[in-house]
Amino acid sequence: MKNIWIVTWFTLKEAMARKVFIFFFILSLLAIIITGLIFLLSSSVDINAFGMKNMPYDNPVTMIEMMIISPLTSLCLLLAIFSTASFVPIMLEKGNIDLLLSKPVSRDQLLWGKFFGGILVVLLNIAFLVIGVWLIISIKFSSWNFAFLNIIITVVFTFAVLYSLMILFGVLTKSSTPGMMVTYFVFIILSPLLFAAKDKFYGMIASSLVKTIIDIFYYIIPKTSELLGTITNDLVSGKSIENYQPILTSLAFLILTMGISISVFRKKDF
Amino acid sequence: MSLNVIETSGLTKVYSSSFGKRTVEALTELNLHVSDGMIFGLLGPNGAGKTTLIKLLLGITFPTRGSAKILGEDINKYGFKNKIGYLPENHKYPPYLTGGNVLQFFGKLSGMEGAELDKKIDEMLQLVQLSKWKKTKVKNYSKGMMQRLGLAQAMMNNPELIFLDEPTDGVDPIGRKEIRDILIELKNQGKTIFLNSHLLSEVELITDRVGILNKGKLLREGTVKELTEKKEEYKVAIEGDSIYSLPQEFIQKINLQKMENDYYSFKVDSTQELNNTLDVLRNNGIIIKEIVQQKNTLEEMFISLIKEAEKEKVQ
Ligand SMILES: Nc1ncnc2c1ncn2[C@@H]1O[C@H](COP(=O)(O)OP(=O)(O)OP(=O)(O)O)[C@@H](O)[C@H]1O
Ligand SMILES: [Mg+2]
Repeated sequence: MKNIWIVTWFTLKEAMARKVFIFFFILSLLAIIITGLIFLLSSSVDINAFGMKNMPYDNPVTMIEMMIISPLTSLCLLLAIFSTASFVPIMLEKGNIDLLLSKPVSRDQLLWGKFFGGILVVLLNIAFLVIGVWLIISIKFSSWNFAFLNIIITVVFTFAVLYSLMILFGVLTKSSTPGMMVTYFVFIILSPLLFAAKDKFYGMIASSLVKTIIDIFYYIIPKTSELLGTITNDLVSGKSIENYQPILTSLAFLILTMGISISVFRKKDF
Repeated sequence: MSLNVIETSGLTKVYSSSFGKRTVEALTELNLHVSDGMIFGLLGPNGAGKTTLIKLLLGITFPTRGSAKILGEDINKYGFKNKIGYLPENHKYPPYLTGGNVLQFFGKLSGMEGAELDKKIDEMLQLVQLSKWKKTKVKNYSKGMMQRLGLAQAMMNNPELIFLDEPTDGVDPIGRKEIRDILIELKNQGKTIFLNSHLLSEVELITDRVGILNKGKLLREGTVKELTEKKEEYKVAIEGDSIYSLPQEFIQKINLQKMENDYYSFKVDSTQELNNTLDVLRNNGIIIKEIVQQKNTLEEMFISLIKEAEKEKVQ
């Protein structure tokens, strides 16, 4: 356990030394400042002016919070993928990995350390952003919607699932580009596309073969669009989760990819 | 009592590349024993398999066949690793770390912490003369400084056994002398040092035993003295060229040959024959100015050994 923590801690240090982390942080700070300027300086904001039609939230405060945070979390995830893609490849560089493996640390611990390190980096950033915005809105409207903070969990979980995919590609290829490309593809294209196919067009498809293919892909690929969509909406409104399937299948994906990464890493020659 | 800190039996490594089409046998059936408290030098040309051996012993690469033990423990375990230090060839540290950070990180991974760790970091930086550079990022270090930092890193956890892969690579002559002194000091503290090198003149100065590796095979193993002595070959310096007045059969018997200037070489089988030979020379009126036993440098021995091995391959 201690070894994992040491690797995690130094991974965080690595992130801090990168420009991307600062950029991430400045972006979050900027978002908080702008939110502050809009809501704290303007004397009165009419909540009802935002229009609650077609919104999945009962509480207008939740809606305002989500309107600010939603686009930012997607941007944050894009940045997070970019800034953590090289964690494992850098560790596996010749000369560095030799030294790490000569220490009384197991290969599993090294990989888990990198896993938690990446997650910690994203957790800190997202928590900073979300809590900052939440404080401002809550103060302004004197309405403390603690359930909104759940978005930290869903975003970090979504990231963890995507990060496990990058770790796998990192271990297999020792470089960051393939993993990053595959992850962007899953996050930006595949997951939303499969969700739309399953949710909207499924009924229109006649061929049962096509349906089966869609099903297979749908259940295998991590469901990032649902995790950030319906699941997050349920949680931030304080409702109970309607459908656990996206969480469970994504979690299974995470466990499976980490399992493969570890078993490949255990046998790898350097 | 001396204990084997490194023991390998039938250790073999075959690397396969491009989907197993091309294979390289980097190490073949190696049986090596290194006992404690000595400096062992592993010599060999580029690609001989020196680095591969260290990597196998440290679990960085896995053996194709055979087994090995370090400090009595099987190399598959990783527990023994808090008693060893390692300086890899071309070692690399995350560039954002300072020299102090590097020692802190690897010290922590070796199980050190708190005040003990801080004290050790300063002590080690002092030893390799990098104290002034503690807070400088390693990306700004020169090659020699990196090598010193690597050495400090390898000694951080007060290891019993230290593996050094080309430790003086890129270090200036003064720095090399300093590194040699450090290694001798470590040996005096009872530690075992396993050294990979192709700087033979340097190895000669400090190692107790050497092994010579070529194309994955151990050609020779022994003390430097054992490997470099040419038992019965002598060199004499005489005045004039009166040597040619000697009987032809005598010249042939001792294989007398002219070297440079007044020097000639000859071979004898025993001390008795040496004295007999000198008597013959003196009796023929030859004035002997000097006589020395011939010795190979490690380098000469190394080159002739490798050449011999190449010849055998061809046949
Ligand atoms: N990861 C690898 N994959 C394939 N072949 C390898 C690998 N590592 C080493 N080899 C091959 O194994 C052989 C031995 O290499 P090794 O690095 O052990 O040599 P060395 O004695 O340390 O050489 P040098 O003095 O140049 O450092 C070489 O032929 C090398 O090409
Ligand atoms: Mg080498």
